[in-house]
Amino acid sequence: MSESAAVAEIEELTVEVGGRRIVDGVSLRVLPGRVTALVGASGSGKTTTGRALLGEFPSGARVTGFVRVDEALVGYVPQHPAAVLNPARRVGALLYDIARGRVRELPRRARRAAVREHVLNALAMAQLPDGSRLLRRFPHQLSGGQQQRVVLAQALLLGARVVVADEPTTGQDALTKRRVVDELAAVAARGIGVVLLSHDLETVRALAHEVLVMRDGRVVESGPTERVWLAPSHPWTRELLAEQPPLRGDTPATSNSYTVLRVRDLRARHRDVEVLHTPELVLRSGECLAVLGRSGSGKTTLARCMAGLHRGYEGEVLLDGVTLPPSLRDRTRAQLATVQYVFQDARASFDERRPVLDQVARTAVRLRGVPPREARGEAAEVLNSLGLADELAARSPARLSGGELQRAALARALLARPRVLVCDEITSGLDTVTRRGILDLLAGLLRDRDDLSLVLITHDLDTARLASRIAVLDAGEVVEQGSAEDILTAPTHPFTVSLTEKRLVEKRRDQIQPSSHA
Amino acid sequence: MRGRPKWLPSGRFALGAALVCVPLALALFGPLFAGEPGPRATSFTLGGGHWLGTDFVGRDVWRQVLFGGRPVVVVALTATALAYLVALPVGLISALTRRTWLEEVLMRPLDVLLAVPSLLMILLVASVFSPGAAGLALLVALVNIPDAARIVRAAAADVASRPAVEALRMQGESWWRLAVGHVGRSILRPLAADAGVRLTGVLYLVATAAFLGIGVAPDAADWAVMVDRNRTGLFVQPWAVVVPALLIVTLTMGCNLLFDALLSTGRDVATERYVVRRGVGVRDRVKEPRP
Repeated sequence: MSESAAVAEIEELTVEVGGRRIVDGVSLRVLPGRVTALVGASGSGKTTTGRALLGEFPSGARVTGFVRVDEALVGYVPQHPAAVLNPARRVGALLYDIARGRVRELPRRARRAAVREHVLNALAMAQLPDGSRLLRRFPHQLSGGQQQRVVLAQALLLGARVVVADEPTTGQDALTKRRVVDELAAVAARGIGVVLLSHDLETVRALAHEVLVMRDGRVVESGPTERVWLAPSHPWTRELLAEQPPLRGDTPATSNSYTVLRVRDLRARHRDVEVLHTPELVLRSGECLAVLGRSGSGKTTLARCMAGLHRGYEGEVLLDGVTLPPSLRDRTRAQLATVQYVFQDARASFDERRPVLDQVARTAVRLRGVPPREARGEAAEVLNSLGLADELAARSPARLSGGELQRAALARALLARPRVLVCDEITSGLDTVTRRGILDLLAGLLRDRDDLSLVLITHDLDTARLASRIAVLDAGEVVEQGSAEDILTAPTHPFTVSLTEKRLVEKRRDQIQPSSHA
Repeated sequence: MRGRPKWLPSGRFALGAALVCVPLALALFGPLFAGEPGPRATSFTLGGGHWLGTDFVGRDVWRQVLFGGRPVVVVALTATALAYLVALPVGLISALTRRTWLEEVLMRPLDVLLAVPSLLMILLVASVFSPGAAGLALLVALVNIPDAARIVRAAAADVASRPAVEALRMQGESWWRLAVGHVGRSILRPLAADAGVRLTGVLYLVATAAFLGIGVAPDAADWAVMVDRNRTGLFVQPWAVVVPALLIVTLTMGCNLLFDALLSTGRDVATERYVVRRGVGVRDRVKEPRP
């Protein structure tokens, strides 16, 4: 490639906020038709670098360096695409507005048809071939994946030569991930430079041509994807790429285990729409049950019904044979303490004004009647055992990372001495290294506390491996249930089969190499 | 490039504070410096030992100004405080309850009140009861409760639906700690913004009511009454109208600026240095003249 071929370039970019360098001397070249990935743990400066291509910087930042963008058109697909789609306007209107700008030179009569053609083309390019059906819908009537593709279509309509995709596969199940990979590969195949910001290594490996590994704002290693994968030179890269060791909670002793929680004939509704129907689901003492499903399969609703956070249901949730009140406000303290819930978004589940330690300690005060002083001591002890030092625990939530907060959230639930711990997607927003840490922690808990049972809500097969039993949920129904080994090695239901098939992602690689490089 | 030092207040804050200070000091401390009333002079004269001339019945305008702020300011502040005293619990309870009927019982009557124009409401009630200053404060508070309660409820409902509140419930926290300790604290910012606007509105309402003769005697020392009664002599002796009118305007404007400035602190959005050049692309390079 010649020197001038890059469609966007960053040279020696340094971004400093409040005296801390969040990006430190990063250089980057985006080539047409190539996928450049920025990989790193959360907080490593990926997003700040990606947004620099748009000319966007955090408020109050000191910026030095050089950003050059060819023709200044860069598309951005954020992690939460709903945030950039006007909720009050239909998808069609959102796209037509942009397309109209591209047909100004046409005669007035021809414009309407041309606009429609542009829009449908862009939708097809964004992997929405049946896009015409979506035009009448509002953004909230689309799935997360469809929203993402609409945002991508907007960027394509603008004629963007560079697309920055921020964590496009984070929190997505295997099937959706595959579609995202297809969609970005198709975009790259049209000669658009794609910048992928991700900590999802599987996606990066399937898509990217070049990889830049970031840590604490610096690029520690960069090079062609295969080279970095096969021969990582920096120790941090090696740690990041290390194969996940097979996690396994101990299989419970079947003899003296009993049923802790039983879900019987549960029909949960959101307003009037039934989203979940579970005839029977049993959690035995000391076991780890994974509820596996795609987004929208009703798995979070199931977890929230158990925890008393969703009360719109018929049927029963029984704890030790006693029916639990549907709303946690009607549950006794003992019942609250027995069934604890850990939220997906740890940051949102903390009060940003109080130190983490104080908030964690309140569980023991309220649910077990421990005097405040001792509760703080106990909280510090539990936080320490989960790897949060006293100095970190005394901070406010804003000054902790996502992984640290998730540990604090676990500690908050554990202080109640629960027998059932419901974990809702607690690893989905985390990078590989942090995720492994949390999963190790859960495995340790299962080993050390005999009376603790885990319900692990997840879309991620690797996370589900921790469980001794797996229930697969699809469209609100339990389609398959059995021991983890059986489900993961010999799935019988077609949906489970499609979830466990992962090789397809790998296959894509061969199709997206630009022909000029062949 | 050096910005202002951190300890210095922002320009808007300083301006707001300065604007509020003058009428507020006059209103609160004015009566202490007023002194004994002198003999009455001729109506609407200038000079003759009267600093700002005389008013429609020949009283000293400066003395009236010193006395006239207290009713306006005190009634407005009391009315705003009273409105929130009712709106806060009503809004918080209806946002945090899961019983729809309770929310309906609390909020629907307020909606009815909201439908009646506030000034009309005040005029109607005043024509039946002829209230004094305390009555006026109550009335103004009453017409402000529906708005304030709705804003409290909306802000609180937003906070109440977040995971942080669910987490607190999961910990078995008491209603009081949940509602006041967490939700109440979280909505302080929007409430402060609302309070700033509301105080301005209340000032306007109180002044209008006084201008229309509600809750005050027709010759009372009151800035709003002064504007009304002295406007007949506007072209002979303008100070009797201009000074009280200006004081009311300064007070409302200052309040607004002050609250704006208070709300924007801690959200410093200035990007210090911006050395990034964009869009200097291939095309520009090609256009350069070649030797």
